[in-house]
Amino acid sequence: MSARVAIVGSGLGGFVAYTTLRHAGLRPEEIMVFGSDADPAGAWRPRAAAIRQRRMRSESDGHCAPTSFPGLAVREAARRRDPAPLVLSVLDRYRPTVGEFLRHVAELRDRSRWDESVVLARIERIAAVEEGFEVGRHGVFRHVLVATGHPGLALPDELAGDPRVVHAYEPHEYAARVGVVGAGMAAATEWLNALAAGSGVVSVRRREPARRPLNVARPFFTKRGLAGFYAAPRSRRAELLRAFGEPSYPPGRAWDAPVEAAAREGRFRVAPDVDGVAQIICATGFRAGFRHDPLLARLVEEHGLESEDRWIVLADDSTVPALTDGTRTLALAGVPGQWAYPAADTLVGMKVAARRFSRRVVSWPTR
Amino acid sequence: MAYTLRGRVETRLAGAIVPVLVAAVLAPILHKWWPLELAGLMLLIGLTLDVVVYHHLLPYQPGWAAVPLGLLELGLTMAAARLLELGAPLQPAVLFFAGSWLLAQLLAHAVLPLLHLTWPEDGGELGRAGPGLSAAAPVALVAVLGIAWAVEPPTVRLEAGMHEGPLVLDHAQTVVGEEGAIVRGGIRITADDVTLRNLTVQGGEYGIEVRDAESIELDGVVVESAELDGINARQSELEIRDCEIRSLPGTATQGIDISFASQLPASLVEDCLVVGGSEGIVSHMANVMVRDNRVRSTELRGIAVTEMSMGDVEDNLVEDALGIGIFCGDYSHCSIEDNRVTGMRPDPSGNPTRAGLGLVAHYGAVATVGGNTLERPPASFIGARIESR
Repeated sequence: MSARVAIVGSGLGGFVAYTTLRHAGLRPEEIMVFGSDADPAGAWRPRAAAIRQRRMRSESDGHCAPTSFPGLAVREAARRRDPAPLVLSVLDRYRPTVGEFLRHVAELRDRSRWDESVVLARIERIAAVEEGFEVGRHGVFRHVLVATGHPGLALPDELAGDPRVVHAYEPHEYAARVGVVGAGMAAATEWLNALAAGSGVVSVRRREPARRPLNVARPFFTKRGLAGFYAAPRSRRAELLRAFGEPSYPPGRAWDAPVEAAAREGRFRVAPDVDGVAQIICATGFRAGFRHDPLLARLVEEHGLESEDRWIVLADDSTVPALTDGTRTLALAGVPGQWAYPAADTLVGMKVAARRFSRRVVSWPTR
Repeated sequence: MAYTLRGRVETRLAGAIVPVLVAAVLAPILHKWWPLELAGLMLLIGLTLDVVVYHHLLPYQPGWAAVPLGLLELGLTMAAARLLELGAPLQPAVLFFAGSWLLAQLLAHAVLPLLHLTWPEDGGELGRAGPGLSAAAPVALVAVLGIAWAVEPPTVRLEAGMHEGPLVLDHAQTVVGEEGAIVRGGIRITADDVTLRNLTVQGGEYGIEVRDAESIELDGVVVESAELDGINARQSELEIRDCEIRSLPGTATQGIDISFASQLPASLVEDCLVVGGSEGIVSHMANVMVRDNRVRSTELRGIAVTEMSMGDVEDNLVEDALGIGIFCGDYSHCSIEDNRVTGMRPDPSGNPTRAGLGLVAHYGAVATVGGNTLERPPASFIGARIESR
């Protein structure tokens, strides 16, 4: 029987879990991280670069360190010897730059000795066995956290095969006339990018985007807002999660002013379809639901796990109830963990899942 | 931060630990209970607002809200402290509140998230430590306030009407007069930790006489028609606020005389009105702070800091004084700032040091001056120095 902990997924979700376990006292050799890239920002970085993202949507606490304090605002203020990030943070107006965030990830990667624990391997199956889980062919682990991230980019079926199509999260430049499909943060970013590149923009959207600072309303980040969510029946819970997943981007003149100016000049308009554009940028996010993730789909199928709509049903502490007991823990973090925490795909949400997992791991007498 | 109700209460209690401990240390040092009572009051008001107001109105509390909420709590705490007559001086009380508030911010933004990883997502709850803290806090608060109440000097209330004196106060106590309470024949204080509040004293050789006593507070007292001095303190340390000394009969009388206490901390005379007498406010061989007073129609000097005293004289108004308005004499060191002296009258004796001067330094004294409004320039005599601020 192995006494080690396994993290399946070497992206930001796995990284947050790793740093949290390290903070709790585990040594690098007690943790194995399975993934396809040793860089924890390896999957995220090219997507952010593709949409020319300059600032994070998350706030000061959107980082990968195990403790909320010091947040990125404190770190940036200390580094620049400038109190402005702190003042902005107090006013809920601080958005770290992508550069600041990636610098922090790189520092933490080095400090936490992450690379010592990473095993470059794709895990295709997790099987419950006596007192643990068999993770691929890499042995049995008593505690496993799955943070496999988004299961791939989503493209509208009706645009399949259209040579003009590029996904927003893939590298691209901007044609003279661009159609942007979608209405979330990536779409709004692409409107501004294309306008800044001198393009005309046609925005194609199924519904008007909500305007909110974060993916999920703030109360749902803490116990208070979650109490009602946890108390809701399953169907209502799924309904709430679907609502949280609807497109939104932050309010503010920085978003609105360029679009309004371009609309006045005839360079921006909302249209029902993408006819007449030279390039179609699909800012349509990711495939949604565990069924698109082969590892999770197989886990559900082989173990008869409960699901609701596109979510695996989890306990409130992000563990899989049927496979978690006094002898073992299976937890989901990141986007597959939304049933336990609606903002699970944010950095704060990843920390919440990691802390809950870590608590079970360290309370285990022999680990 | 979206606090749960339990989280608000537990975070509030955690934030109160250090201020209560500081108050517990301060109280015996100052020989005053107001720090503990103020800490208890702050906590009580904070918890009440948490439960009754904040929890309902603020499902999400942004960081900046701490400032207006802090100001609201400050206002309510100071008002309640005044209403309950805690005797907490305003400036130290505000400083204590501000320090406690800053500590609470530090705790919420840095210490608790470090000590208890899930504090943010748990809505401010402290896990297993929370219920223990919640249970211990009221017990500790009741114990501390109970002890404070039990050992605090007794409070004697004087009913409205005439009380025959002289009243001798020879043990720690607080004497509070109802409106219209008058003591005839003077009050003599010979014990530490005596407070007189809202009393009128008529007659007596001295209106209020203080001997060898410390931590004396005279708050809102009126002295009328004393035969010698309105308030006379020897080898004592006292704070006099909001007093009124009037109808002093003769040229050998002083409004307030604090003397022979150079080994003791500074005494304070603040917001008093003194009318008539030889000297309005005077110190000999003592440390004094004299500020925000009005002194009128004196025959020798309005305010005098003399005989090797150390004194700060600030923001006073001296009117219609004969000879000298403000005097720093006999090797004293004085800081004399932002006072106004008007309506000076020259002494008919022809003595040049008493020629209706607003500010005089005399006989080796050193006066540091600035911001005063005088009708004539300050003058120094016999080796005294006047230095600008």
